[in-house]
Amino acid sequence: MSHNLITEEKVFQELKKAIVETLRADENSIRPGTSLINDIGAESLDFLDINYRLEQAFGIKMARHFVLEHIEEMFGEGAAIDENGLLTEKAIELLKIRFGDNMPDLKPGMDMDEVPALVTAQSIVQGVMDILDSLPEKCPACGNSAWKSDDGGKVKCGSCGENAVYTNGDDLIKEWLTKVQEEKNIF
Amino acid sequence: MRIFQGVDIVEISKFKKVFLNNDSFVSDIFSEKEREYCLSKKDPYIHFAGRFAAKEASLKALGTGMSGTGIDRMFKEIEIIPGASGKPVLSFSGWAKKISGKKGINQFTVSISHSENHAVATVILTGRDTV
Ligand SMILES: [Zn+2]
Repeated sequence: MSHNLITEEKVFQELKKAIVETLRADENSIRPGTSLINDIGAESLDFLDINYRLEQAFGIKMARHFVLEHIEEMFGEGAAIDENGLLTEKAIELLKIRFGDNMPDLKPGMDMDEVPALVTAQSIVQGVMDILDSLPEKCPACGNSAWKSDDGGKVKCGSCGENAVYTNGDDLIKEWLTKVQEEKNIF
Repeated sequence: MRIFQGVDIVEISKFKKVFLNNDSFVSDIFSEKEREYCLSKKDPYIHFAGRFAAKEASLKALGTGMSGTGIDRMFKEIEIIPGASGKPVLSFSGWAKKISGKKGINQFTVSISHSENHAVATVILTGRDTV
């Protein structure tokens, strides 16, 4: 069971705020299925800005390495990307398990650089929620289970006042890959 | 021979805003050597922005795009430092190096230019035929 106190709706609101501030986009035009690149013209600097804002808002650390890199790190050279830079079938299978409905256009044989355009508001929200869901039951500092959310995105221990500590994005991807591999034996 | 090309333009005022708003931006995106070089200049942001454009142009040439759902470490793995003649020299490490290896890339060139509010960079990578 997750001990996360932040709702998906709150993450989506915070993402919308970040997009509006970064890209001066109209808030009402941002929906879960909105592609940041195709629909609102985000470029890499915007993505960085948006992701940093989310890190600050929730006190989290997002992944520094792309899931494809983790796949090759764990399952060997060529597991995710072939010599032409195309995604392998196994990589697509994994990405589909990970992002599923949040990235409906994933297809085997896609070029790596087609993937960013598939990043939707909802897939970013999902990435943040995965990290928030890693909140342990008990505060690592005092051992009590007394997490409390302020009205923003931060969670603190109601007993000792320490900030919530979440697993970082890269470690979560590794944990997830290990679990999926155990269950489905893809590689 | 295969040729891969990328170009990117950066609005310096926008870049500076993102740079200053986010504490870990500079160390997430730029190597220690790059930071040292840019900070030694009279207007560091112009040089940081030019390097950022070169990194983005490299990602385009490599055909990787960026990860989108995190802070892409490839920016830092693509390093642009001045060579012996003062001309910028491009090098890759980590995942960026791995991708360039897959594509058989063995030569890297970069060119950077800027005006008061824009920095622009082109990157050309060449490699052997893989087929
Ligand atoms: Zn505590």
